[in-house]
Amino acid sequence: MSLKELLNEALESRTVFTVFGIGIDESTVVTWIIMAVVALLCFILTRGLKLEHISKRQAAVEFAVTKLQSLTQDIAGEHGVRYAPYLITMLIYLFFANIIGVFGFKPPTKSLNVTASLALMSIILVQYAAIREKSLKGWLKSFGRPTKLILPFNILDLITRPLSLCMRLFGNILGAFVIMEILKAVVPVVLPAVFSLYFDFFDGILQAYVFVFLTGIYIKEAIE
Amino acid sequence: MNTTLLAIGAGIAVLCGLGAGVSIGIATGHATDAVARQPEASGKITSTLILGCALAEATAIYGFIIALLIIFVL
Repeated sequence: MSLKELLNEALESRTVFTVFGIGIDESTVVTWIIMAVVALLCFILTRGLKLEHISKRQAAVEFAVTKLQSLTQDIAGEHGVRYAPYLITMLIYLFFANIIGVFGFKPPTKSLNVTASLALMSIILVQYAAIREKSLKGWLKSFGRPTKLILPFNILDLITRPLSLCMRLFGNILGAFVIMEILKAVVPVVLPAVFSLYFDFFDGILQAYVFVFLTGIYIKEAIE
Repeated sequence: MNTTLLAIGAGIAVLCGLGAGVSIGIATGHATDAVARQPEASGKITSTLILGCALAEATAIYGFIIALLIIFVL
């Protein structure tokens, strides 16, 4: 397969099968796989919880959960605690979605549809948090803060923030995927494993954290 | 002729990486100074540096995406 065909295939996402005339993409199928894995993990890790004489598995799970909660609380502020479950879920999903390229699947976040919907969800949540905290009039007035001169930029922020969230995640994961594909085609022996430590693991985890961090910062700024 | 212009356009688009490279280099220099001045704060400094680099990298990635779009869509 020539390099051009390889790159063309890396950029598109095929329809795997159709259900009632709606084509199901590869990214949807991989997302279902991630959902099944995470649900199974949650089910296995939370069986037989006890109050005293806890097992090592329960101690590890409690440690992880408290770590994640304190992380999101640092990012979103005290009033943002009610949005912590959304941020933690997003972090777990993006963590698995970006890394799953190592296991042979195509990362679902390499397609623009997935990242655009995730960015849209985050921005709608931020505006909902602002409206809930400040009521509709307060939210509309907040566009004029701190000065009236900033008004066009605040309105533009409604568009550029989700756009940059979406494009950052999409570009990083697509770039990593394309480079890994080319590497696997050119030198299939040892180099892909070494480079995937950076491209798949480090880049994927960092971009997941950056996405969640930025959403948390926007929430904190909206709640103020 | 058309493909030549497209190739030149894609090459110019990727020049965005210049800004990201220079800025991340300067930031890393400052971070090293800070760690040298106060080694016990190195954990916080490192995580702030990594976060800042991921955000600064985004503009380079935008250039990369535009180059990809130019090559594969136009």
